[in-house]
Amino acid sequence: MKRRRRTEILIQGDGRLAKEMATSVTNKYECREVTAPEQGMIMVKMRESAKNSLFYMGEVLITEAKVEISGEIGTGLIVGMDELRAEYLAIIDAAFKAQLPEMQDWELRLLEEERQINKAKAQQQAELFKTKVNFETMEV
Amino acid sequence: MGYVPVKGGTQAIDASIKRLTYERLKGQEILEIKTILSTMGSMVDQVMSESSLYSPELAALAIKQGEGSMEEAVFLMRAHRSTLPRHYYSETVEVETMLVERRISASFKDIPGGQLLGATYDYTHRLLDFGMMEENAEVNRKWLQDYRDSLSVIQSGQEVVYFPKVVDYLREEGLFETFEPDNAQPTDVTKQSLQFPTTRSARLQVMTRGQTGAVTSFGYASLRGYGEVHPTVGEVRVGKVPIYTAHPNKTDLDPEDQFYIGEIRITEVESFVPVTVKNTNNEDALEFEIGYGVCYGQNETKAIAMSILDQCLEHPNTEFPTHDEEFVLLHIDSVESTGFISHLKLPHYVTFQSKLDSIRQVKKEGTAVES
Repeated sequence: MKRRRRTEILIQGDGRLAKEMATSVTNKYECREVTAPEQGMIMVKMRESAKNSLFYMGEVLITEAKVEISGEIGTGLIVGMDELRAEYLAIIDAAFKAQLPEMQDWELRLLEEERQINKAKAQQQAELFKTKVNFETMEV
Repeated sequence: MGYVPVKGGTQAIDASIKRLTYERLKGQEILEIKTILSTMGSMVDQVMSESSLYSPELAALAIKQGEGSMEEAVFLMRAHRSTLPRHYYSETVEVETMLVERRISASFKDIPGGQLLGATYDYTHRLLDFGMMEENAEVNRKWLQDYRDSLSVIQSGQEVVYFPKVVDYLREEGLFETFEPDNAQPTDVTKQSLQFPTTRSARLQVMTRGQTGAVTSFGYASLRGYGEVHPTVGEVRVGKVPIYTAHPNKTDLDPEDQFYIGEIRITEVESFVPVTVKNTNNEDALEFEIGYGVCYGQNETKAIAMSILDQCLEHPNTEFPTHDEEFVLLHIDSVESTGFISHLKLPHYVTFQSKLDSIRQVKKEGTAVES
């Protein structure tokens, strides 16, 4: 599974899967901390819909971590202040880059987590749809 | 103007800072960060928006430290921002991927996808709720449980729904001009100071981090005749948008290899503004243009006012203050404006004495001539 989809699942999930995956890697392989989790920023680039041009909206606080496993450097990035999850994400990123055999087994778990996330989102949206409104114009 | 340093007052300053701490602590109550996060969402959103740094946790801390003063909280956040490294730029945020919590239109009642009120004060009675003076955690828990129970019977769909933009629908009908994506590198006002005339990207960046009150007041001024823009709101949407970034050292441009890093909550507004243009027969014809507004968190008034000012500044006109980009952009920044006003409290003894001396001299010369 490619990084974009994998990080979506690991960040949108409750964190247990990220912890399990990272721990299973660090239990078996040597993991060197390249950069301890630290706070930084990402500048958000947006496209406005009036003229379709780009502009910078502002910065977002992120936590970043970097680790090395089997000669591959993994990066963990997450919005907000979450050092643990940033570290787990870095470990998993390095594990995927190093193509550790353990990662093959995680594909199904990731897909199942993705299903749960989408189900929860759809449920939250259905609840919000209670506020759907039909405005009527009246004859005067 | 040259500044003349003053010294002294170290002990008094120490005592003043102690007094400040005393004023915050004397009530012997502690406001938890999580309490601010849970119950002061609008304030947290405003601080993030005006400081241009999205972090609810830090905004809540700044509110606590600044004792609820917006200007102090924004100042603290901007100062903290300057200490943080910025290693990444996001991929372009596509607002069509917003997980919408609220979406309304004042222009069309039947917009594709429908209107969603979400959570809003718009239809509440603005009466003080005296019950809140004696709020009870147990009663609140019961209310929450009942509310969740009432939601649990709702059947959800299989897939998450993403809402189309109202303006895209109108563009398909040919009612609004369609612009090809403009991928020109935006100006970054945090890296270079504003030069006039400036760019559209710089204007949008300054306005989205503008002080809520100032942006709202200038937008209001346009409606009252100190500008020429009075729009109809096409769409207001509030929700969360995902943020992606590529690895800074990447050589592979595969979007599937990007990092998803989380989501941020924003308010986005498109306002429809009627303008008169010459058609092919050189006759006056009515067309619509779009004013664009966006800000961190839920702050619809600011985003709407920004959309008005965006349209004002797209049509420069020195006859109206709200169409003058120097006037608008240089006066809506919270730290710039509150900082410059509050610096007046600091010692100006030498400059004032020199003015006083000039006046005394003039008066003395006047008296000499009379005699």
